[in-house]
Amino acid sequence: MTGRPATPDAVRLLSFEAEGRLFMRLRATLAWETIRSMFADSRLRLSLVVLLSGLFWAALYGLFLEAFSFLDALHAEVISLLFNAFFSSLMVMLVFSTGILVYSGMYCSTEAKLLLTLPARPETILSHTFREAMWFSSWGFVLLGSPMLTAYGVVRHSAWPYFVLLLPFMISFVFIPAAIGSICCMLLVAWMPRLRVHALSIGVATVCIAAIWLGWSMVSQSRIDAMSAAWFERTFARLAVTEQKLFPSWWLSSGLIEAARTERDGSVAGLALGEALKFLALLVAHAIMLQFLAGWVARITYRRGYSQLAGEVPARRRRPLGWFDRSLSHAGFAAGRPLRLLIVKDLQLFRRDISQWSQFVIFFGLLGLYFFNLRSFNYNNAYASMIGYLNLAVVGLILSTFTTRFVYPMISLEGRRFWILGLLPVHRDQIVWSKFLFSFVGGLIPCCSLVFLSDSMLGMPWRLIGQHELCCVMLCMGLSGIAVGLGARMPDLRESSPSKISSGFGGTLSLVLSSLFIMAVVVLAAVPTHLFIVSRAFGPTYVSPHGILAWAGGPWGNAVSLVLVVALGLAATFIPLGLGLRSFRRLEA
Amino acid sequence: MIEFDHVTRTYGPKTAVSDLTLAIPRGELFALLGPNGAGKTTTIRMLVGLLHPSRGAVRVCGHDLVKDSRAAHLHLGYVPDEPCLYDKLTGREFLWFIADMFGMPGRHAGERIDREIEHFELGEFADDLAESYSLGMKQRLVFAASLLHDPDVLVLDEPMVGLDPRSVRIVKDLLAARTREGMTVFMSTHTLAMAEEMADRVGIMVRGQLRFLGTVAELRDQMALETTTLEHLYLELTSPRSPAS
Repeated sequence: MTGRPATPDAVRLLSFEAEGRLFMRLRATLAWETIRSMFADSRLRLSLVVLLSGLFWAALYGLFLEAFSFLDALHAEVISLLFNAFFSSLMVMLVFSTGILVYSGMYCSTEAKLLLTLPARPETILSHTFREAMWFSSWGFVLLGSPMLTAYGVVRHSAWPYFVLLLPFMISFVFIPAAIGSICCMLLVAWMPRLRVHALSIGVATVCIAAIWLGWSMVSQSRIDAMSAAWFERTFARLAVTEQKLFPSWWLSSGLIEAARTERDGSVAGLALGEALKFLALLVAHAIMLQFLAGWVARITYRRGYSQLAGEVPARRRRPLGWFDRSLSHAGFAAGRPLRLLIVKDLQLFRRDISQWSQFVIFFGLLGLYFFNLRSFNYNNAYASMIGYLNLAVVGLILSTFTTRFVYPMISLEGRRFWILGLLPVHRDQIVWSKFLFSFVGGLIPCCSLVFLSDSMLGMPWRLIGQHELCCVMLCMGLSGIAVGLGARMPDLRESSPSKISSGFGGTLSLVLSSLFIMAVVVLAAVPTHLFIVSRAFGPTYVSPHGILAWAGGPWGNAVSLVLVVALGLAATFIPLGLGLRSFRRLEA
Repeated sequence: MIEFDHVTRTYGPKTAVSDLTLAIPRGELFALLGPNGAGKTTTIRMLVGLLHPSRGAVRVCGHDLVKDSRAAHLHLGYVPDEPCLYDKLTGREFLWFIADMFGMPGRHAGERIDREIEHFELGEFADDLAESYSLGMKQRLVFAASLLHDPDVLVLDEPMVGLDPRSVRIVKDLLAARTREGMTVFMSTHTLAMAEEMADRVGIMVRGQLRFLGTVAELRDQMALETTTLEHLYLELTSPRSPAS
């Protein structure tokens, strides 16, 4: 044994600045590598994301341009109300989303486990996690807010300072709710580790109830009032609750409105610009102060909170739906039991994976809320039919995101556990069929219910409801077939992360094919129905007296379109499934 | 070097570690043994600062892991049971991050990184992203990172999991050499042969309590058994029928 100095000479604690720079370098290297591998491995997906984001931005810009032109003529003060309502709701959402992301980054990740065993300051770990969380939670705000605010500046003929100040305004604003979310998260974990889920649930439930109440109170007025001046007046009176001068959302909207002002000759309005800069300074000052506060909270609570959370005893799992699983396993013939057992297993995994069912509930719940409020508006038959088909397309698109994100990776994930299934008396085909039935039946119930709700609210006749339900069944079947079939055709047996599996080439192809399939089904069914309704309402010569349009708008045209929808649905189901089954039978795990 | 001073850690109503008092001097290789759920991982996590004791204190080189955690971490190297790495960093980039985190000056850090890459035979894949590594490669990289700053105390949680026989030999030789130079090693393991071969002292934990502390020879004396192996002694001591447990 030789004597060693208590602290090796070559080792020292870093200064706060040096530690910050080191983590910035780490973040930059990780971001660069992620982008590089996206370019190398997921070019199709990246191109699609860029293209669709561009289209989405352009569409939003056009929409807001129209809306602001209309509102500008109607009443300029309305803009302030709308900005306040928009930014205050975004503020609340950013508080929750950043809080949740900071929680998973600082308390549940393997990275936190590594960093806590190094001589890193808790406040540096927070700011490292915070940057990522803020980016993930606020990109939606940038994508939604930038076309809106650009369109506003264009409509108001704003001078250049407005456009230059847009980004600083948006960035300084998002820092505030993001910091509040982080602080709440750390305090909740440190002081109420056992109650964090309850506290979060209560918070989310309160915000949801408030949003539903506000939304409901705006759309639940009588049908005659809808979109009239009185309707607007009442709606804006209700929105005034978001116009609080102590809210950062008010500082942001007031600052932007001031920055957008110009002199009569179109030049920069000096006084208004000064006001705008005052609001920007207010936002920046609060953002910096909250950053310091968050750092201080991290310093005193992070390590203790992490330790407390790690010391929690998980609640004993209850099985409230055990009876259902048992009944499903034993129902039917003995020959089909392996198939049913596989479905029950997937059902149990789905129920216990909060990320799956929570997204399912949120998206379909929001859609249900929207459909439930459709009755507030008056529609003529042709318009209602179009809205009905658009709603059908939305239901299909949401289902396609679930089938791509959760159903497509199922076979790949099963591949990793192939040794278990390989030792059981189960035919490989049954594994694929079980995934298909799980996805098809699981999607069918909520989707058909939503389409029925939408059609009922729109006052659709039974014949059209039947048509929509038929299309919905075909969509559920086809989307499940595409996801399961391609998942079995292109499994990624080495990957354990479902999100990485679904973001690869096969997952992207599944999403693209699903979108094309939905469009084809909706267009095939909607066009003849629309022509049929229009020709009924305005006479057969209104559309076209002869030719394909006249035929398509007739009863035969409608019948053929439905046959084509069924044929397309069957093709989308059985072609990918057939390819998948053949490939999966030959798979060497 | 390492002090556990009347340390207790509870998880709700369950006591994972009960009134643990233990001191490990400089240059000792200490092996903590015990059945699953005995409290070994909790003890290790308190030693590296991931968990705070409910009562008592844990100190490394005189620094309290709760009150003075950064200074304590400066003396610590840690190899967890599951390697924690950044998938999107190469092995070399990860080693540089660790070296920078410990404030090692550039040239010195470069030399140390090259030294550890050579020791653990990482050269072939040091410039590949960690996401492409096997479990064994990851474990070797974590070993290299934990020894980069020549820590006074090295904490190992099941260190040989995933390592091939050649890597196991490298690690054993390295641990022997470093402890001779004065490094203290605290190791939790189920590999009794390794503990018997390498440890200066062993501690056997059962249901949160340290049932035995001493050398293997002392354990034989205590159990009044002359020629048996550590495996026999361990099984005897941790058996539910054993009077000691």
